[in-house]
Amino acid sequence: MNNKINEMLNEALKKLQTAELIDIENIKVEYLGKKGKITEILKKLSSLAIEEKKEIGSCINMAKIQLIQAMEAKKKEITNKLLEEKMKSEKIDISQSFAFNFPKGHYHVISKTIEEMSDIFISLGFDVSCGQEIETEWYNFEALNIPKDHPARDTQDTFYLENSQNLLRTQTSAAQIHIMEEQKPPIKVIVPGRVYRNEATDSSHSAIFHQIEGLVVDEDITFAQLKGTLQLFINRLFNQEVTIRFRPSHFQFTEPSAEVDMECVFCRGKGCRICKGSGWIEVLGCGMVHPNVFKAVKYDSEKYTGYAFGLGVERFVMLKYGIDDMRVLYENDLRVLRQF
Amino acid sequence: MKISYNWLKNFVDFDLKPEELCKILTFLGIETSIVGGGTNWTGVITAKVLEKQKHTNADKLSVCKVNDGTKDYQIVCGAPNVDVGQIIPLAKVGAVLPGNFVIKSSKIRGVCSEGMICSEEELGLKESSYGIMILPKDTPLGKKIEEVLGELDIFLEIEITTNRGDCLSHWGVAREIAAKLQKIPILPALKKLKYTEKNLVEIKNKDLCTRYIGCNITDVKIGPSPKWMRDKLESCGVKTINNVVDITNYVMLELGQPLHAFDATTLSGGKVIVRMAKKGEKIAALDGKTHELDEDSLVIADSSKALAIAGIIGGQNSSINESTTEVFLESAVFNSGSVRRTARKLNISTDASYRYERGTSWEVAEMASWRALNLIMELAGGRLKAREDYNSPNNKKAVISLRVERIEKLLGYTIDKEDIANILRFLGMEISSRIQNTFIVEVPSYRNDINEEVDLIEEIARVYGYEKIPTSIDFGATLLEQKYSNKVIKTITNSLVGLGFCETINYSFAEIKDLDKLFLSYTYKIANPISKENEVLRPSLLPGLMKNYFFNIGQANTDIKLFEVGKIFDDKGERRVLGVLMSGPVWQPWWMWESSKQNPVFDFYFASGVVSNILPSKEFMIAENKNPAKYYHPGKVAAIVYHGKVVGHFGVLRPDIVDSKDEVIYVEIEVENIEKNYKNKIQTYEHIARFPAVKRDISIVADKNIKFEKIEKIIKHIMKDGGILKEWSLFSVYESEKLGVGKISYSFRLTYRDNTKTLKDEEVNKDVAILLEKWKKDLGIYLRN
Repeated sequence: MNNKINEMLNEALKKLQTAELIDIENIKVEYLGKKGKITEILKKLSSLAIEEKKEIGSCINMAKIQLIQAMEAKKKEITNKLLEEKMKSEKIDISQSFAFNFPKGHYHVISKTIEEMSDIFISLGFDVSCGQEIETEWYNFEALNIPKDHPARDTQDTFYLENSQNLLRTQTSAAQIHIMEEQKPPIKVIVPGRVYRNEATDSSHSAIFHQIEGLVVDEDITFAQLKGTLQLFINRLFNQEVTIRFRPSHFQFTEPSAEVDMECVFCRGKGCRICKGSGWIEVLGCGMVHPNVFKAVKYDSEKYTGYAFGLGVERFVMLKYGIDDMRVLYENDLRVLRQF
Repeated sequence: MKISYNWLKNFVDFDLKPEELCKILTFLGIETSIVGGGTNWTGVITAKVLEKQKHTNADKLSVCKVNDGTKDYQIVCGAPNVDVGQIIPLAKVGAVLPGNFVIKSSKIRGVCSEGMICSEEELGLKESSYGIMILPKDTPLGKKIEEVLGELDIFLEIEITTNRGDCLSHWGVAREIAAKLQKIPILPALKKLKYTEKNLVEIKNKDLCTRYIGCNITDVKIGPSPKWMRDKLESCGVKTINNVVDITNYVMLELGQPLHAFDATTLSGGKVIVRMAKKGEKIAALDGKTHELDEDSLVIADSSKALAIAGIIGGQNSSINESTTEVFLESAVFNSGSVRRTARKLNISTDASYRYERGTSWEVAEMASWRALNLIMELAGGRLKAREDYNSPNNKKAVISLRVERIEKLLGYTIDKEDIANILRFLGMEISSRIQNTFIVEVPSYRNDINEEVDLIEEIARVYGYEKIPTSIDFGATLLEQKYSNKVIKTITNSLVGLGFCETINYSFAEIKDLDKLFLSYTYKIANPISKENEVLRPSLLPGLMKNYFFNIGQANTDIKLFEVGKIFDDKGERRVLGVLMSGPVWQPWWMWESSKQNPVFDFYFASGVVSNILPSKEFMIAENKNPAKYYHPGKVAAIVYHGKVVGHFGVLRPDIVDSKDEVIYVEIEVENIEKNYKNKIQTYEHIARFPAVKRDISIVADKNIKFEKIEKIIKHIMKDGGILKEWSLFSVYESEKLGVGKISYSFRLTYRDNTKTLKDEEVNKDVAILLEKWKKDLGIYLRN
């Protein structure tokens, strides 16, 4: 009996070897179905003696399990194979992938740069204001210690508005006065924004450009802190240690005043096209808030000291990205906008 | 200003190479660079012109044979002053001239040229020169030119900040060098002459003229000034005229004081009057123009007419000429504001006005007067006949107290007291007394930029060296609340960028004709625009974005998705708004679209999807725009409402302003106002159900004149009751004759879900039926077959 069972099993396993998916179902019916060959033997078991029943019974069960496992394995083998073949046939040409550009948006390179710079200042504890663009003579000049008929006004040709005394701010410094009028020290703020100069537009001049103004006022603010803050700012902006130098200069609203040069980051100070061979690039103006400015906003200049700085955003943008014509920045050609 | 390196040495003893000098001055706050002079060439030798013939092919050229003592060269020369017998500088083939200009053998109009005869300008010896340089007749031939020229000067360009008018002279710059090197500057010897005091000057406006020294000099012989003086003037870019005029300019370059010489015989009434001009008074000035003056301009006049515009320019009638024998020499201090106003009004800028605008010194005025007198005596003969000196009693030196601890408070570092005293002394300040830690400092009158303590502190920092100030950081100076916020704006623009929009930055100006096209009016007009483009301030971001639209269409960039955040200016003042412009294909065609489906192009509804995407919360609503801007298509425009207030609008632009088959959609949102009033509600967590959802698509037919809003309201009503309908979307809108006249069909996808169990079909069917029933009852809507 046992031999017969084994023969049957071997026969079924043999059939399985060459079976397709559909054949497996047939094999299942042939051996394990209601009238299957193995089922038939099982049916006959009841007529046997207990000892025999036990022996043959376990033999049949083993055969049954073996067959089921073999069938499952075969099934799996076949479906795997089919899937592999299917996937193989579905292979696509991945080199076609970037031919569909899901449209990508871009911030303007100027805003992007302002954002980058602002983030550094925010991390140093600065607040960000934006100020107003229509100003009076008082905020743009007089309160900043630039009286009427002062030659310092020459360097900033001003747009005036018709039928009023108002003008378009020539420097974000105008916002300093508003901020100090509105609050008492401590003050630690930057003002990114547009400024206006009444001059013809060419590759390096524009009637509108962007500045970032900084103002810090408290009881013990020093020139040393100004130096430290700007050094840290430049280092973070260029993500490296950049050598900077402070040169004495003059601005009406700061005293002492300085201009800051940084070692050319493109040639590491060796001299190149960008730094015009000098190894240095002028990047910003700064100084300690002039007592007359404090006077204008009714601050006690004995008690408080402060520093201020201003930098031109376009200058950095042009340097950083190698843009040689400022007008490109305001033309808004999508081919340019999408580059940054 | 251009200055001479050698000339500086007359005023201070230094041993610095020009490059080192530039660095020192630059770090004192005077940006200095070498602009010319020195031996900036190689391969230039002395040679003699042996022959000169006209170039057969060019009128202005000559072909010369020149000899360097051993060899002949054929040179084509364009200078009109070249002649046989001259000794000239010859740049041979291979020579390098300033500006890295390499001389090559060349053919000029068919004739070979084996080098170039140089001018002083080409050698960088002078700012400008006429024709070639001619050397003395006894110059040996074949020598390197630098060997025969003797010591060559170097020219420096200095940039003076507006507060340092005192540095607009060689002595002034030398003082700075001396201060840094701790040396005493040297002044030219001044010989004070004996004279008769006579009333030569009458000053009517003593507030505008605080010192006036007039000298009457007779028996003057006008002629050319000596070569050394002409060379110095020319190398600094000053035109030479005659000895007396050259002396006034020379002294100005030397000491910084503008001087003016009048022909004394042309003065009627025997004295000069300093007064305000009469309205409409005219003067023919040395610039060849006749200027009309007004009562705000100060003039130098005689009893009958204006002779000069004070501190700005002299008149032709009283100018020094070859026949002048009697000179009236003026050395004066005029009010800087007054000079500036007049100079600006007349649009004149002269060496004198430039200096007066920046302030001159009553002390230097006297020195300059004597210095010029001495030079006139020496170089043009003459005799001082009479002199008058008006010196305002207000002319006093400033006295300032300087507290040592204040230096530390401002700069953040300590300087030794002796160092402070030394710096001040070498700057020409006098320390009149010292009380404990306070210096009482007397400031020379030429330092009109030093008026208070902080100015002295700057001087100390500057001379001591900014580089010696340490760096520190003021962390946490403010732990204030963030007063200003950009968060909402940032959320919106981030979304736009995510959706593929590009940010633009436009000028804040607009042209009136462009505004007219968009039916926009302006509030702010620029009083002094330099071009039409700057006529008015933009009342909307649309004009700029339209410009970008047309520009990009012109560049064949047809998928327009632009935005700008910027100030607009209208009758409500200035404020930041967001403008968005979109048109054309939403994205590039995709090959996986079924062929029947078109690539989507922006229309009102697609744009409204963008608008709802970028708005920061669900509290923003879209509503009827009751007063739309005229640039919108009146049937395709909406308003954006936040807490009952209109905060923006969007719509399709009128087809006649866009000139395109594609619709152009504009969105304007008052982001600054939103930012100010935005309440950031914290979204509380809503439990999500884990049971499966059931989706149903239904298509309904409605009367076209029923607003969609009403249909939507019923869906929302059913959702509100805590029912099983959780989500809905509109996926098809369809109109056809088949539906019947005035009918429209909408297809919705409804999502049902129960939070407590798996839904059965019957339950969903029942809910759909309720919705349909309500639609039917309220709006007469029925299911499409």
